[in-house]
Amino acid sequence: MFDVLAAIENSGFATWVRETPSVLGYSTVLALHTFGMSFLVGLSAMMALRSLGFARNLPLAPMEKFYPLVIAGFWVNALTGVILTMLAAVSLFRNPDFYIKLAAIAGAIVTLLMLHRELFEQRVALDSAGRAPLKTRIVAVAMLLFWTIAVSAGRLTAYSNYVRIRTVAAIVIALALMVAVRHVVARVLSMGTQTLAPVAPPATNR
Amino acid sequence: MEAFLRHWLEWPAVAAFINANAWAWPLCETLHFFGIILLIGGVGIFDLRILGMGKGLPPEALKRLLPWGVYGFILCAVTGLTFVTGVRANVPMSPYDLIRTDPWLQLKLLFIALAGVNLVAFYATGMARRVDELGANDDAPGLAKAIAGASLFLWLGVIYFGRLIPEAL
Repeated sequence: MFDVLAAIENSGFATWVRETPSVLGYSTVLALHTFGMSFLVGLSAMMALRSLGFARNLPLAPMEKFYPLVIAGFWVNALTGVILTMLAAVSLFRNPDFYIKLAAIAGAIVTLLMLHRELFEQRVALDSAGRAPLKTRIVAVAMLLFWTIAVSAGRLTAYSNYVRIRTVAAIVIALALMVAVRHVVARVLSMGTQTLAPVAPPATNR
Repeated sequence: MEAFLRHWLEWPAVAAFINANAWAWPLCETLHFFGIILLIGGVGIFDLRILGMGKGLPPEALKRLLPWGVYGFILCAVTGLTFVTGVRANVPMSPYDLIRTDPWLQLKLLFIALAGVNLVAFYATGMARRVDELGANDDAPGLAKAIAGASLFLWLGVIYFGRLIPEAL
């Protein structure tokens, strides 16, 4: 198997992408991988956040219009991901981190499809706080977690195990701090406004 | 002026922190990516609605997702400043020389500045208020669409040039 991977890595195409002095090689493939990520993860995360009750007055159904962009982002990243894998095939397939990334993407895609079905096909009812039912919310949080793992693992393939383990701990702490900060900021910003402004009823999903 | 910038842009404490903690640089890289995702998710979805995609979404309600984009921008700005001010931890050069010699970083900074000007234009031309008044399925004015299109183009450009920065090192 590793002979085949080495052959792929040394193929003319992989060598050109990796070693061309042109910015249209490696860097552009990486940039396309980042574009795909930002649409795939960014837009699906906004759908997940809406189902969790953020932007509660926003009707959910029209958000489906962005779903094709999410899928397009996935295919851009599948293609550029295969190309990037070809450039360092041997070391990636020996890297446990790479398998974690692939497994997290599989989990994220499964939960994304479940979220799509529940929000846009079954059109689950939203509660008085504008949130989807608990089961859907669990799917949404799971998808966000899978994306967090996939993006972190993708970034960390380039590092040693020693750095990786420490960075994972740092990311967990940083995320906990960020969630705490967001919570405090949201509390401070909404202070007073809750009692002053009449609250519009949240959007339904019909 | 040069001596001033050379001195002021270099933050030895940042470089020392990165050198002393192996996780600091990859942590900032990962958070930079989380920031990109939130920025394109929160701001991009608003731009796309103004451009006419997902018109069933009233902009006034969609605006509640914008703080996530702002949060993403702050994440990117803080980690990005760490990369520049602490560059010596990774490459033997001063932040001043990095900014002076790397055309991709210069283009990236230019595009960030243009995105800022674009945002000011969104408010100064009154388009922000016009967009606020749109209901579900209403079409945005042409100028608002131009500004939204420019916003998407500029932010994707920022990502692209960011990826090219190492090419010139």
